[in-house]
Amino acid sequence: MKIEIKDLSFRYSKKSPRVLENLSYIFEGGNIYFLEGKNGVGKTTLGKIIMGLLKPTSGYIYFDGEDSSKIKPADRAKKIGYMFQNPALQLFAPTVFDELAFPFEIMGTMDENIKDNIQKALKKFNLYEAKDRSPLTMSYGEMQRLALAGISLRNVDFLILDEPSSALDEEGRNFLISYLEDFSRNGGGVILFSHDEDTLSKINGVIELVLDNGSIK
Amino acid sequence: MKRDPRVKLIYILLLTTLAILAKDVIYISAIVLVTIIVNICLGTNILRAIKRISFYVSFIVFITLVQSLTVKGGTPLIYIGSFVFVSTTGIIFALEFLLRMLVIILSGIIATSTDGREMADGMQKMGVPYEFVFMSGIALRFFPIFSDEFRARLNAITMRGINIKKLPFRKKIRLYGYLMSPTISGCVLRSEQLSISVEARGFRALQHRTMYRELKMGLYDWLFLAVGIVFGAGFLFVNYYIGSFISIL
Repeated sequence: MKIEIKDLSFRYSKKSPRVLENLSYIFEGGNIYFLEGKNGVGKTTLGKIIMGLLKPTSGYIYFDGEDSSKIKPADRAKKIGYMFQNPALQLFAPTVFDELAFPFEIMGTMDENIKDNIQKALKKFNLYEAKDRSPLTMSYGEMQRLALAGISLRNVDFLILDEPSSALDEEGRNFLISYLEDFSRNGGGVILFSHDEDTLSKINGVIELVLDNGSIK
Repeated sequence: MKRDPRVKLIYILLLTTLAILAKDVIYISAIVLVTIIVNICLGTNILRAIKRISFYVSFIVFITLVQSLTVKGGTPLIYIGSFVFVSTTGIIFALEFLLRMLVIILSGIIATSTDGREMADGMQKMGVPYEFVFMSGIALRFFPIFSDEFRARLNAITMRGINIKKLPFRKKIRLYGYLMSPTISGCVLRSEQLSISVEARGFRALQHRTMYRELKMGLYDWLFLAVGIVFGAGFLFVNYYIGSFISIL
């Protein structure tokens, strides 16, 4: 999958300054992009625009050449997995197991194969022991792992992760790095918005970018 | 027009009380009109404020429709055989409810023309205990937090590839059930954090406190207040002396 951003500008209101200014870049599958930048520079905003949660003031985003303005956020999410900066806002089911199962139950697509995948994801993301716990009682690091486990079940082509390592311990960070490397090796694209240069620059073949003054440098 | 927050508080109290005491639709309509005039005089942006609370407005309209369909009496307007769907009494009840809610909303908008902290100062100057004023201020700030959290969780659901609009009604209800519990517990958690923070900053540690802002009533504030009191007294007199216009008609 290819995400092409062309002359993208954004501001929150007519009176506020532009957060993004004529930003153009092409993110391609099979690569891991690490986008860093100071607080308030627009990293989260860019992620939300790509996912359709915010509308750009001007400019275009194309998914494999298709104009994204016609694609609804829920449909974008079928191709792109998005992890919020605050994982606590992303979790709502009564138990960890339900958290992974509920999108399939709501969509009416639950079957034996998905049940099996959920069990595998619980083990892979080291959440099996916590499967009956409420996600709201978990630490932020565990919540981040759970949010990522939820995304991993959907077979997306791209990942956009906002501060994915902010609350992870060393073991969790190493797991994240190997997971992302595997994902990219299988043709998936990853965009990481983060300050955690120490951890994320260790990823093999990572493309480091800086968001500054509204554009990517 | 910048008026003292105490004048605005008195107007809010006066208009909402009159809306409750008003005997029929005509009286309540008059209150709605006066509330709009007061908002215009105070320079509030009514349309923008209503846009911000559009969710509640549509909820009120929904209740109004339900009321018009469930309250029976008077002349039947829409009916099949002996089963009455809509009657004059239902319509009048629904209209009264809608207009009263409109007065409450428009009166609330008066408060938005003043900074929340100034409003709190005004309440305290009027003799409301500081603890109550503080809690009211916090409660007002909780609404946008609650609404933001709920919206963020709706976004999170969308980011799971679920198009909420396309879900059948039964599944939608189940989904909202999923959302309510963490949103409420998130608010409780925030209030606990707030109470710790307030304690840590020495809330009520000293018996006497001073204020950065000092409120003073000017000549125009007194005049504005006098107009309101005269209107209120006149309204009550007509309301109780003449009675319901509807029954006269």
